[in-house]
Amino acid sequence: MKRLLAWVTIGGASTALVLALLRRRLGRLRTRRGLAALGLAARGGARYAASAPRLFAAAGENRERLRHDLALRTAEDVADTLGAMKGVLMKIGQMASYVDDGLAPAVRRTLSRLQDSVPPMSPELAASVVEEELGVPPERAFASWDPEPIAAASIGQVHRAITLDGRAVAVKVQYPGIAETIAADLGNVALLRRMLRITAPAQDVDALLAELRDRVIEELDYRREAGNQRLMAAYYHGHPTIAIPAVIGELSTRRMITSELSGGARFAELARWPQEERDLAAETIYRFVFRSLYEVHAFNGDPHPGNYLFHGGGKVTFLDFGLVKHFTPAELRPLMMMARNLCVERDPEAFRRSLEDAGFLRPGAPLDTQTIVEHLAVFYDTIREPGPLTITGDYASSVVRRFFDVRSPVAGYVSVPRSYVILQRINLGLFAVLGELTATANWRAIAEEIWPFVQGPPSTPMGEAEAEWRAGRPATASLA
Amino acid sequence: MTADSYATAAGLVERSAAAYAAGVPERPADDGFFGPASVTWRISADLAGPVAGLRALLMQALHPLAMAGVDQHSDWREDPVGRLAATSAYVTTVSFGERAAAEQAAARVRRIHEHVRGIDPVTGHQYAAGDPALLLWVHVALVESAIAARQALGTPLTPADADRYVAEMVVAAELVGVPAAMVPASAAELAAYIASVRPGLRCTPAARESMAYLLDPPGLDPDIAEIWQDVRDAAIATLPDWAREMYGYRAPAALTPDRRTEIRQALGVLDAVFLSEPGVLKARQRIALRVRTARPA
Repeated sequence: MKRLLAWVTIGGASTALVLALLRRRLGRLRTRRGLAALGLAARGGARYAASAPRLFAAAGENRERLRHDLALRTAEDVADTLGAMKGVLMKIGQMASYVDDGLAPAVRRTLSRLQDSVPPMSPELAASVVEEELGVPPERAFASWDPEPIAAASIGQVHRAITLDGRAVAVKVQYPGIAETIAADLGNVALLRRMLRITAPAQDVDALLAELRDRVIEELDYRREAGNQRLMAAYYHGHPTIAIPAVIGELSTRRMITSELSGGARFAELARWPQEERDLAAETIYRFVFRSLYEVHAFNGDPHPGNYLFHGGGKVTFLDFGLVKHFTPAELRPLMMMARNLCVERDPEAFRRSLEDAGFLRPGAPLDTQTIVEHLAVFYDTIREPGPLTITGDYASSVVRRFFDVRSPVAGYVSVPRSYVILQRINLGLFAVLGELTATANWRAIAEEIWPFVQGPPSTPMGEAEAEWRAGRPATASLA
Repeated sequence: MTADSYATAAGLVERSAAAYAAGVPERPADDGFFGPASVTWRISADLAGPVAGLRALLMQALHPLAMAGVDQHSDWREDPVGRLAATSAYVTTVSFGERAAAEQAAARVRRIHEHVRGIDPVTGHQYAAGDPALLLWVHVALVESAIAARQALGTPLTPADADRYVAEMVVAAELVGVPAAMVPASAAELAAYIASVRPGLRCTPAARESMAYLLDPPGLDPDIAEIWQDVRDAAIATLPDWAREMYGYRAPAALTPDRRTEIRQALGVLDAVFLSEPGVLKARQRIALRVRTARPA
């Protein structure tokens, strides 16, 4: 028992360790103590990186044993593992990893996979959730049900099954009680605010917290995710290289989503494919992200490598729509203006004004426009000039490092408005993925195809195929 | 904590975690003094642990002679981290280590205790750390706090499990040199013993000083201090009224269901911090696996 005394005594201070993982902005830290806490966080983060992927998986040979012997067997087990803020910390850690600035890519990835450290449900517990949701046990709801999960999912796990009418499906089943637990813990705004405030700038904490809470709460109801997936599947129906699995509505509820099972290669396999294939896959991912943003007004905030399946020839299946941010036209317009003014009009003063309109830059900041462009145009490096460009593994982190540079003269004048918090994931997630593929493309030309204010001609064979698909779509299909 | 409370805190977390990870053997030769079927192992990861620990210190410090021994011989002021980390390592080894490891650790503690003797400036009485009467109070305060904190904030023990837990812990007292016959072996005996010792308890200046330090560690960031306050309030709220009155602490807000939830949330954050240290989760899994094997659901 006394070992607990040890961390009791310093527990308060050490809390900074986890909290610091949630930090956003080095530049705003006020105290030396705060910086020391960040040092701790960096070390703690490195440890997460070293150990978290193996936390549950343990050392290979132990995996199956752990899977069975430590499986969560009851709702009480779920509460013990993910209750009392722990589930919330995992989710917010995952989200913060989308917006965080200083963590190494490996640490960010690891944080986003913290949920993997949670044991799976036992077959009986998973079946009991299905039965509560559908009124019949899975063996009757499906023609065939695989009691062993095939993957961990956000606050749940995925089972394979065959529907009564013979379709192969993936069924995501939520941990019982987790939605209620996380919702209750998110209600402790005072504690969450303290945790964020320790390392984040005071004036941004409420916006950040509100956005994180909204996104997490949305994710708890799988019906919303099913809706997002349906929306995307409808928009991309018939697309030459983008596939979204169809949702089986009658087998989808608040705590389970049933959708078509997709084959295909995982990201790790793609890394061993020829560069040409990797470039094509990267082009599809890039088109998917920006077509979704500009035409569906939605952004999938979770573009991590586990959510793609690759089929060759640039064909990609996109999975997991739990974290989709929808934008209003008013929210989208300033983003478009920033890209347009910088990259197309090449008008620095107008770029500066659009940054101010969007809320990224404080109006009237005592900085000359050239300085602002130098520091805040970093997000547009890949698309400011035409021509082929290779995105390297260091690219995303270097962009972020430059943007959030403490010593930067703009550091005191920039902030990320609430609506765009999740959008940071473009830089931290998308470019990290493209960087891992060392993908080469004429990104500017592809962007011009997609930019509504340019609507450039097809620049690649995939662009040609996409243009044909677009031409064949009914006019009302555009959700913009 | 003087120079840099964060560095100190980090050192303590790291060392406690390292002791925990190392103290739970991977391929043990035996089950140690408790084992996977014990209540001790089953409740070891309870969220209320930190509250139990802090409450135990508050109780222990009320024994003037025990407190005098710590005050006059321990280097807690100069090296609070080292002091607590050593205790932490000891308790882990005794709880989860093999029998030989536990006995070796206990022998070392008994040797150290041989040199801890003196006169308590408050009562004028002589004390010796090896005195079974002092060791027994320290033991009982710990055992009773573990139960009280879990009843209030964790997963409450059934009366039968509470009795079993008290009985299991007798061996921990024996290890440091208390004859088994002296040690309470049921919840009722525990309560009777505390009642018998109570007239001799008091809050000495040394107790006040050291506990004030623990309850309000200097140099905390205000936001962190607020989180810490939840743990502190919980420990004080679970104290017996008489103990709280000896310190002169005001009774914290009642542990309503909402307040209890808030405190558990703060404790969950602490637990996540501990779990993030290298080896801690794996050590917990080693314990959980063995507990499950011993007690199939």
